[in-house]
Amino acid sequence: MRKMLYIALNDLRVFFREPGSLVAIVLLPTILMLAIGYGIGQTAIAPTQVRVDVLNNDGSALTERLLGQIRAANNALVLCPMDDQDGSCRLDAAQPLTAEAISRRLLDKVTQAALEIPAGFGAALESGQTATLIYRSNNNAASPGIALQAVQAAAQQVGGAQVAAQVGLSVAEAYPPVGFSDDADRSAFRQGVYDRATTLWADNPVRVDYVQSTAPNAPATSSTQAGFGQSVPGMGSMFVMFTVMTALYAILRERRNWTFQRLVMMPIDRRSILAGKILMWFTAGMIEYGIVFGIGLLIGLNLGNDLLALLLVMVSFTLCITALTFTISTLVKTDAQANSTSNLLALSLAPLGGAWWPLEIVPPFMRSIGHISPVAWAMDAYNKLLFEQGTLVTVLPEIGVLLAITAVLFFIAVRRFKYE
Amino acid sequence: MPDVMVEVRGLAKTYRRADGSEVQAVRGIDLDIYKGEIFSMLGPNGAGKTTTISMISGLLAPTAGRATIGGFSITTQGMQAKKLLGVVPQEIALYPTLSARQNLEFFGRMYGMGGRELQKNVDEVLDFTDLKERQKDRVETFSGGMKRRVNIGVGLLHKPQLVYMDEPTVGVDPQSRRRILDTVIRLREERQMTVLYTTHLMEEAQELSNRVGIVDHGQMIALGTVGELIQKVGEDDRLILNIGEQSVPDSVRTRLLQEVPGVSTIEFAPPPPTNGNEHPANSQLTILAQRGRRALPVIIQIVNEARIDILSVEVREPDLEAVFLQLTGRALRD
Ligand SMILES: Nc1ncnc2c1ncn2[C@@H]1O[C@H](COP(=O)(O)OP(=O)(O)O)[C@@H](O)[C@H]1O
Ligand SMILES: [Mg+2]
Repeated sequence: MRKMLYIALNDLRVFFREPGSLVAIVLLPTILMLAIGYGIGQTAIAPTQVRVDVLNNDGSALTERLLGQIRAANNALVLCPMDDQDGSCRLDAAQPLTAEAISRRLLDKVTQAALEIPAGFGAALESGQTATLIYRSNNNAASPGIALQAVQAAAQQVGGAQVAAQVGLSVAEAYPPVGFSDDADRSAFRQGVYDRATTLWADNPVRVDYVQSTAPNAPATSSTQAGFGQSVPGMGSMFVMFTVMTALYAILRERRNWTFQRLVMMPIDRRSILAGKILMWFTAGMIEYGIVFGIGLLIGLNLGNDLLALLLVMVSFTLCITALTFTISTLVKTDAQANSTSNLLALSLAPLGGAWWPLEIVPPFMRSIGHISPVAWAMDAYNKLLFEQGTLVTVLPEIGVLLAITAVLFFIAVRRFKYE
Repeated sequence: MPDVMVEVRGLAKTYRRADGSEVQAVRGIDLDIYKGEIFSMLGPNGAGKTTTISMISGLLAPTAGRATIGGFSITTQGMQAKKLLGVVPQEIALYPTLSARQNLEFFGRMYGMGGRELQKNVDEVLDFTDLKERQKDRVETFSGGMKRRVNIGVGLLHKPQLVYMDEPTVGVDPQSRRRILDTVIRLREERQMTVLYTTHLMEEAQELSNRVGIVDHGQMIALGTVGELIQKVGEDDRLILNIGEQSVPDSVRTRLLQEVPGVSTIEFAPPPPTNGNEHPANSQLTILAQRGRRALPVIIQIVNEARIDILSVEVREPDLEAVFLQLTGRALRD
């Protein structure tokens, strides 16, 4: 085991002595991360943009106030269709935003939530009656999104206690069709919504605090967060790939130099040699992440509430890329192949997986295809952690997928790796 | 019967190329290397020397056969066998961007050394290879000869009883070569080490070795002390005729073989390619003949009658080159 550590340390030293390595692992990633982060921060494609479709059947002044309050509660929300700018709502020009269209957009995850304001909502409120808002979300009920939080806060401000309790949510797969068969049905639903909302309120007043803390001008949703929250994990992940895939070339060179053969002729277990090399390239990848996230931190990026979860996502992704690299290394025979393979992989997996721009802005089928890239799983997890106050529990699925890919690839790599 | 350090039986290696074709690099070698001797494997490029070394050092799995080091099988008791062994590969197997000392320290750790012992052994090796002054410099800044010495040093770090040296003088200047040869002799004389030395230069094998094995096309075609091997060619002298850029017709060969008593082998080597501005090198006609000096006038006459001008004549006593020539009909040099 000691020999394995020495092999990893020695290889790291050799790696950092390589001319140009500082440019490749510090300068280039930093420049791209800053440029892209700044660019995204200034445009409307930030992943902080959470689209909420609004079906407004009321149109009273009170309703307008409510929508205004929602906007004020969290500037990341885009209310569609009324706040559509430069296509930020991704509306289909040929199709009006009907109840069905809204349902489909919700299912396709174009929108995170939909809000239906029933006719007479304003009038009912003014007359002191109970008024119900129908809120639908594709978020898991256990982790309500920021849209719900904003709606709740707005509702509280507009209608006070009366309205606040009327907000409900349901899960995307299971939400009931719009429209109810009869009045009994409707009131049963309303009652259900009422109960649910009351418990939510009672259980979790903190969520309201959170919504208020991300009110306009709060640093958490600044353009810094919007831009660098995308570009730091995005460029970080891409350069982790570039860095780790340098191994393809380094392994070839070690065989050409015969330093690898020399190790095999020494009294060391062969598996320890391979483990040392794997450890080294994993470490190099983590250093790359450390550099990019470190600089992100310096320029004011908020790394979210769960640093342990963030670290585990980095570890899983870097392990996954290391496993991929060592699997491919069993096929690569020349420097030219090493070069083109690493460029091809990094430059396709990165944009496909949302490292260059958020997958939010691509069509749903592209988003699905994108998830063949490990980058997509990592980026999903980073988005949850950096924008949606996710925790270890919320990113466990992504970590699980990454580690499963890692296990399969390492299995292949270890069996196919040649020592001769 | 001397103690056997390395025992090789029926060792063979067939490489499979990417296109599916096969190369029989080593075809069944039997060999005993005795404790405390310098054993040379002498053979031209491509004879299978490196492949053999790779198999008996645990790098390559043999296609057939077996090898033991100090009684330990290299395939089934690799760890114990490898501990007894130091290897100096034909390639300069070093990290170019690390210093000589850093290279030695790293590889020392791979032999399980650490702390004081490591520092002491590294210092000794730097002394022995005369690299103390440059120990802190990167290996990539070294001359070819110095790199070779570091390469050798790594093989000696853990004070093994046995060291393999695969063509350790390739690509170095004559002074460095002399130094390396002296080092090899000191290993035997001062440390009683066993050395397996490979080379394609018969002078080296002749000077260093207790015993020599001549390899060609993956087979050991002769094995013995230098004296024993030369006995095999008998009293044949080697006559080398430099004949400029001319070529030799078959009729001349036939006449030489038929009309000159004692001629056994005739070999014609065309001039090696030049780099343009040099003078073209000479073609050489090499003739092995018993009492060659006495046959010389007849030989010259036959050659002259074919209108071939002889620029110079060299007469050599029997040596390993002659042995190889007689056994294979080819010269040792590539
Ligand atoms: N990895 C390999 N794959 C295919 N053929 C090889 C390989 N290594 C060596 N050979 C061939 O095996 C033969 C012996 O090579 P080698 O052992 O390097 O000879 P030497 O060290 O005596 O010059 C040569 O014909 C060489 O081309
Ligand atoms: Mg060789």
